[in-house]
Amino acid sequence: MDSSIVQNVLQGIFSAAFLASILRVATPILLPSLGALISDRAGVINIGLEGTMLIAAFTGVVFSAYARDWFAADIATTFGPWFGMLLGVLMGVLVALLLGFFHLKLKASLILSGIAINFLGQAATVVVMYELTGDRGTTQGGLKSMKMPFIQLPEFLSDIPVVSFFFKVFDNQSVMTWIAIIAVFVVWYFLYRTPIGIHLRAVGENPNAAASVGIRVQRIRYLALALSGVLAALGGVHLSMGYLTFFQNNMSSGRGYIALATPYLGGGNPIGTGFAAFIFAFFEALSIRIGTLDIPSMLPQMLPYIATIMALVIYALQSQLTVRVRTLRSAEGEMFDASFWKAIQQLSVLHMFMAMIAVLGIIVCLSMYSAPDGFKSLVQGWDESDVRVYGGVIGLISLGLILVNLPFMLKVERIGHKIWYSAATSIAALWLYLGLLLMLFLRTTALKEVSGIGGIILGLAFAAAFWVLMGGRYLLQNPRGTPAAA
Amino acid sequence: MTFKLSRQQLQLLTVGIIAALLLVGAISWKAYGLSADMSPREMRDAITATVDYQAILFVNLLIGFSTLLMIMQLRGDALRVLLTVGVALIFGYLMTMLFNLDASVVFSRGEFRVSLLSDAVPLTSINYGDELTVELNDPRAETPITEVTHHFTGTAGDVVSVLAFGAERRSKLNMQLTLLDNAGNVLQENLDADDAQKRTFRRYLQSDGDAVVEGFVLPATGFYTIIAKPEADTADVNAEFTLALLSDNAPPVTLAYGSDPVGGIFNKEKTDAPLTTATYKFSGGKGDMVTILAYAFRGETDLDLQVTLKDANGEVLAANNDASAEQVESYRPQLKSTQDAIIQNVILPADGIYTITARPEPLSSSAQLRETVRATNKAYDAFLFGPLSRLNRWVIWIRDALTLIMLGLAVAIVFRAEQFSLGSEGQLYFGALVSAIIGLYFGNVPKTILVPMALLSAATAGFLWGLLPGALKAYLGANELVSTLMLNTIATRFYEMVLTFQLKPPDAGYTSSEWIPNNGLLAPIIDVNGDQITIAVFILIALVLLAWVMIQRTPIGYEIRMIGANIKFANYGGVNTRRTIMLTMAISGAIAGLAGAHLAMGIHRKLILNISVGLAFEGVVVALLARNNPLVVPFTGLLYAYLRTGAQMMERDANISAEVVRIIQAVVILLITAEALVSLFQQRRMKQRDKLMSSQGDTPAPAEGGA
Repeated sequence: MDSSIVQNVLQGIFSAAFLASILRVATPILLPSLGALISDRAGVINIGLEGTMLIAAFTGVVFSAYARDWFAADIATTFGPWFGMLLGVLMGVLVALLLGFFHLKLKASLILSGIAINFLGQAATVVVMYELTGDRGTTQGGLKSMKMPFIQLPEFLSDIPVVSFFFKVFDNQSVMTWIAIIAVFVVWYFLYRTPIGIHLRAVGENPNAAASVGIRVQRIRYLALALSGVLAALGGVHLSMGYLTFFQNNMSSGRGYIALATPYLGGGNPIGTGFAAFIFAFFEALSIRIGTLDIPSMLPQMLPYIATIMALVIYALQSQLTVRVRTLRSAEGEMFDASFWKAIQQLSVLHMFMAMIAVLGIIVCLSMYSAPDGFKSLVQGWDESDVRVYGGVIGLISLGLILVNLPFMLKVERIGHKIWYSAATSIAALWLYLGLLLMLFLRTTALKEVSGIGGIILGLAFAAAFWVLMGGRYLLQNPRGTPAAA
Repeated sequence: MTFKLSRQQLQLLTVGIIAALLLVGAISWKAYGLSADMSPREMRDAITATVDYQAILFVNLLIGFSTLLMIMQLRGDALRVLLTVGVALIFGYLMTMLFNLDASVVFSRGEFRVSLLSDAVPLTSINYGDELTVELNDPRAETPITEVTHHFTGTAGDVVSVLAFGAERRSKLNMQLTLLDNAGNVLQENLDADDAQKRTFRRYLQSDGDAVVEGFVLPATGFYTIIAKPEADTADVNAEFTLALLSDNAPPVTLAYGSDPVGGIFNKEKTDAPLTTATYKFSGGKGDMVTILAYAFRGETDLDLQVTLKDANGEVLAANNDASAEQVESYRPQLKSTQDAIIQNVILPADGIYTITARPEPLSSSAQLRETVRATNKAYDAFLFGPLSRLNRWVIWIRDALTLIMLGLAVAIVFRAEQFSLGSEGQLYFGALVSAIIGLYFGNVPKTILVPMALLSAATAGFLWGLLPGALKAYLGANELVSTLMLNTIATRFYEMVLTFQLKPPDAGYTSSEWIPNNGLLAPIIDVNGDQITIAVFILIALVLLAWVMIQRTPIGYEIRMIGANIKFANYGGVNTRRTIMLTMAISGAIAGLAGAHLAMGIHRKLILNISVGLAFEGVVVALLARNNPLVVPFTGLLYAYLRTGAQMMERDANISAEVVRIIQAVVILLITAEALVSLFQQRRMKQRDKLMSSQGDTPAPAEGGA
């Protein structure tokens, strides 16, 4: 193993093809994530997404296969996949409504009946699959399913310099991927710009208050569950008909559970949820891509989950901070310095993210310690003790970064009072991360020779600019902060 | 604490004791392999001959005691729990029936053979592709053969070639051939093959004297006659010659009297065009008495055949579905059961080509249904009684129940505080990992120190892994469901990573650690051929009691119950809800960690990948069935483990996927948690009671406890 393989992997990661594969992997996470988001915002989080996905994936396969027999050949080839998708979505809605019926009507525990739906989805698909195909593993032998169409972008786009990169990313993606991307914006519009969406969020915030102003809570919740069923079903259909043409036992493999977490990682809004889904997809695609490197594949698989926990923490800390700022605002009235607090809030997020990435660094360090064999191949001539030494260095640096950032997380006013110290810690951390990333990126481009110095300079520039944009400029204008904040 | 039983409690106790004793009796009866026709003395011998029979009795008594506890604790609800399981089982039965809808396929699937027997002289003696060698003018023979006549059956339009040639290269024979139709008209004659024909049939033709009828197109379907004889100049030569009948067409007949049986496989699985009907033809002469056998090849198939004999015009001459027992006797070894078919001693009415059709006997829908029910019953028999059918299965049941009860306890504790933590899975993985590592690395430390140390470490690991989401929930308000699901995956991946890269011996073929040395294992109290029940039983008893005491008799338990009832009220009442929630989740984690230790140190005795596949979710079902009551968890854990083991037996014995149990599981959860379902019934009952009371003018009966 030599560095040329590392080089190959790096080139693979910083490429349009990798981005395209992230899109592909993200689709079945993104769609149910949006479903989880809608149901969560209505206060009835749909735990049964996993089972819903399985049932929809299976239904899609079955009915698109039957469409061949039921319709004329030319109609079947055009509309067969859509017919399968439609029925898959219909089943998804039915399953979600079943959950709704048990929770809303029969007062069953939402979480436990969601778990039951997951059991049901996993088992019922196998039972019916066995009935139809005589096979318990896949439908490959018995049912000839169809594939959802792929979208080809107009060819001329590939000739335009910058657009050509995006052309490579988005060209020849499944229509389901486009549906997923569009769904992000549709869901955003629905939640924030339509009356029903606003009612839905009101119900989630406080059902009693919503009911008192005449919103029909039960009906909204049924609707939210049904919508989450639609989105989860679309994700399921993508699994079985997006790139494959068959159903496999338990093929959602936990994506329905990941989808429960992404809204939290994404800060509870559709756009953030979309990014969160892409983070999961990135790590999933990464763990496939670095397969050639012998790095334990569990490590990249583990990271998004840890990131989610971190995001939960950040989310919680931020909402606590928001409450505090609100209290301060009402207490101080005229004296309240809004721009100062806005800057503080934004910069505290930066500190938290820096600490969060450092925690990931500690995980990497632990992995290097517990599985040194896997990392040996990373650099030519490394042996186990080298891996452990470098792991230790990474761990120490990460620990240091956490420690210097921690005071600003625990007491956010410190950001305003010790601007330069705060700026130094966050910029240093950001510089380190960005610099490393840029170095790796530059190694894959023509600027390979100057990748080291280029990474350092560009990293510093980006980090400083980012700090200024995140709120540093307010603090620079008003270095002390308001006296009342102390 | 005074202990006074009310009349109602006394009744319950009686019912409970009777139920418990019946259960203990039934399980012991099966476990010791007793049967009703044994004398008491034989029974005693059978019991004492069983390995570790005292320990088995002890465990069975514990099962009985858990039943008693369940009845005493749940009271009226016990009925509901059992009813729910019953309903779910019926649902599962219907599901299994769905699996078995095609059970009757066994009667139409399998390999078969058809034989044609007759003592009559076959009407035809040569078939397409045959080569018959005959010695002419053998001086040793009583009646030397001077010419050869053969009959064959042909279909109109078939292109046939007839060759007669000396068997040896330098044969002096000079042959001639005549082809005649059934009426005796000469169709073609040949004396000698020309050069072109010799080239065409280079493989066969040897010398100038050979004769050939090449590429003759048969004018009609029927019988043809070939006469081959030496030409006059070599009429007396003693030599061998060969007569060959060649055609590229499919032979019109595929069977001949006494020929080798023909056959195939009906409805073979995973074929695009499975064979459903097999047709064979033979040439029969008028007055021939034939017997046709159609039978399953290889005795163990259930294939049920029928056979039909038709004449050339398609008229059915004879048909048969099932052979009689005598026929089976007399036609052994071909016929093996009465499901085979036979057409015995039919006299053919005319010369001609006859058709034999063999196919699986079609089943009536009632017969199909009967078969489906029969197969379902067989599967459910394995499901419901499988775990008791052999002692090692009983051990597997109890062993799995121990893990499930621990997990059920862990879940019950957090659910009691209305915290929907599903983190047991991750805590279990850490518990297993830590206990196994301690067992593996400190193998020479005495058992009395090592085992408690490993258990304690596993509990600590689980405690810490539970403390984390607890703290996140309590102090940051992070959704415990999401955080525990995330932590589960992290724990699983971490476990896999350590196992694959640290614990797996480099030369191991598959991913698992080395065996944990004996000092690091829980000591067995029952050992049936390597399947062990360990001292985890005692650990479990202690855990159940501790959990009960903690919840019912300690301040923290009181706080847990208060938080579960109404967290805001608990908060106003001065409960440190944050600390309590955190502790609850951590304590639950400790128990789940012990469950992991039991998996590593008691069941697998090493670490394997996928040491738990969603076991924690099954712990949720156990806790739910027990209504989160630690004293009831042992019974529901046993019940649930019984169903799980039964499902495995069903999968093994009846080829029904264990998936059915997952469906049962789902139905149980939905029905148990559907609170309104009960009140629906209760409302109706109350209405009825009201009606009764108002009509009788009776005083209202005291409200029932529990529910």
